[in-house]
Amino acid sequence: MKIALFCNTRYAGDAPKGVWPVPGHTYMPEVATRSMDRTLEQIRLGDEVGFDWLTVAEHHFAPFSMSPNPNVLAGALTQVVKRAKIALLGPDVPVLNPVRVAEEIAMLDTISGGRIIAGLMRGTPNEYVTYNINPAESRERFQEAVQLIRMCWTEPQPFGWQGRYYQHRSISIWPRPVQQPHPPIYMSAATPESGEFAAQNRLGIGFAFTTVQIASVAADYYRKQCELNGWTPTPDQVIYRLGMHCTEDDEEGIEDLIEAGGGQPAVGLTMTNKALESAVAKSGYYGRDIDKQRARLQSRGEVRDRIEKGQVLVGTPKTIIAQIRRIKDILGCGILDLSIGAQMGDKTLKSIEMFGKKVIPEIQAL
Amino acid sequence: MFTEAHVEADGFQIRYLSAGEGEPLVCLHGAGGLRISRALELLSARFRVYALEMPGFGQSPVNDRTASTEDMARTVAAAAAALGLEKFNLWGNSFGAKIAMQLTVMNPDMVRTLILVSPAAIRTTPRPVEGEPTPEMLYAQPEKQNIAPPSPEISAKQRALVQRLSGPPRDEKFEASIKGLEIPTIVLFGTRDRLTPPENGRIYRQLMPKSSLMMIYDAAHAVDADRPEAVAEVVGDYIERHDSFLVTRQNGMLHP
Repeated sequence: MKIALFCNTRYAGDAPKGVWPVPGHTYMPEVATRSMDRTLEQIRLGDEVGFDWLTVAEHHFAPFSMSPNPNVLAGALTQVVKRAKIALLGPDVPVLNPVRVAEEIAMLDTISGGRIIAGLMRGTPNEYVTYNINPAESRERFQEAVQLIRMCWTEPQPFGWQGRYYQHRSISIWPRPVQQPHPPIYMSAATPESGEFAAQNRLGIGFAFTTVQIASVAADYYRKQCELNGWTPTPDQVIYRLGMHCTEDDEEGIEDLIEAGGGQPAVGLTMTNKALESAVAKSGYYGRDIDKQRARLQSRGEVRDRIEKGQVLVGTPKTIIAQIRRIKDILGCGILDLSIGAQMGDKTLKSIEMFGKKVIPEIQAL
Repeated sequence: MFTEAHVEADGFQIRYLSAGEGEPLVCLHGAGGLRISRALELLSARFRVYALEMPGFGQSPVNDRTASTEDMARTVAAAAAALGLEKFNLWGNSFGAKIAMQLTVMNPDMVRTLILVSPAAIRTTPRPVEGEPTPEMLYAQPEKQNIAPPSPEISAKQRALVQRLSGPPRDEKFEASIKGLEIPTIVLFGTRDRLTPPENGRIYRQLMPKSSLMMIYDAAHAVDADRPEAVAEVVGDYIERHDSFLVTRQNGMLHP
């Protein structure tokens, strides 16, 4: 089993809560700079203590993840992370220029000496407001963009692209990826449509903001689709993201998390803006099992409940190892992507270090 | 509306369908015979389209006389001359693309633009099916197509002719003949083509470095039937502007 560490570039000062877009009137540049430094410090530590991947993500107009372009952050990581792979999970492809995405990832793969994992995402529904893209087009744009990006990486001759959403008369990118034929591609496969597309195109999949039970149903569907398409994915082609806080005492871990979350269950970005979410839902963005998808995004509970659902790993290394075994048994995932509570200062650093030193060696053979 | 007529050339009575006004665009069909795709209909709004039925295809008598694709290219050139066309744009689908290339090599002064649509002149993979390709092989969205396959007799006659004329999958002499071709050329491949995979496009681009390779997204072998608007737009623009087509003329302004 491989472990990724996802350090959100969270703003370390006061910011309005429960709205999106988040107003910037309390924004302080020096706090933001400190926040970025803190993220890089956590990432450096993760690399030192043995995490296999370090993850970056794309989010807009919000302080909880100040990473509107994950590729820019990944550029910094190439100079900080000496050993681990850098996982882009990832650019919100349908709202971006796919050729630019292909170029940036190829550039990162070159700078990092072939250590890039290319997660290509649709983004959370609110991101469709960011660059004014119709969410009804999200899936078709995504599918076309993924195929265009792959061709940018693999086609040695200049080529044009007459797409439905993208049109280019001539493309021939420089630099090109170090990994051949291209960096491993992952996509979210929460919906059946996504599972089918990933299976048809032999892509890895990932799950986030879900429960291990819901993810295991989707993963089984994906594996069945892969079989229909004549191939079998490896465990490493399934990523599961959840929270993590490692402590010397189980109760202490739970208390830390409650304190860090202000005692309230967290709400995802999309669900903070009801008008936006309902307009996105009406556009057909969620696909054919819309009710399940909306329920999944609304599902947030207390810490103990979240442990039970496989949404967070909390406690001592021994407790966490047992939690990981359970998730692995249910889901069969080869990679866990651990999102940490970035705002807990030394406790966060201690958690990363303890996990790296005491948990990773024990679960590598899983 | 395409209207039917015949022209005599090289001792053959050649049926053709034509429509539209403007610069001439001569079209050579694939192994399945003459079909007017929606893309050709759209192009007939900008060009004078002549879709020729090569001797031995469709209702025409069995053709034992044409000995090679080069021979066929000579017959097509004669038909174009008989139609009074001194210089024209030349389109070839699949099997017809090789003939279009050979006509161009033999008569460079006759061809203004060469358009190769899923060309089958260079084959790197074995055919996935024997005999007439199924609609699922030809089209990405077969349910949207309303084109009946040829009758078994016509199909057998056409296939025998194609088999006799096609030549080897990699024809060194032919490939040498198109090397460095200077006539403005655009090569179209569908990203879902299983008969002539889009990866073959790079071979044409390597042989003819001045050509433009264009991927038609979500189209199978019959790209002009699968994505007619996309094909007509890019081919029309290329015929009109050749290499200047690289620069978009699409208006980006939303509100004045």
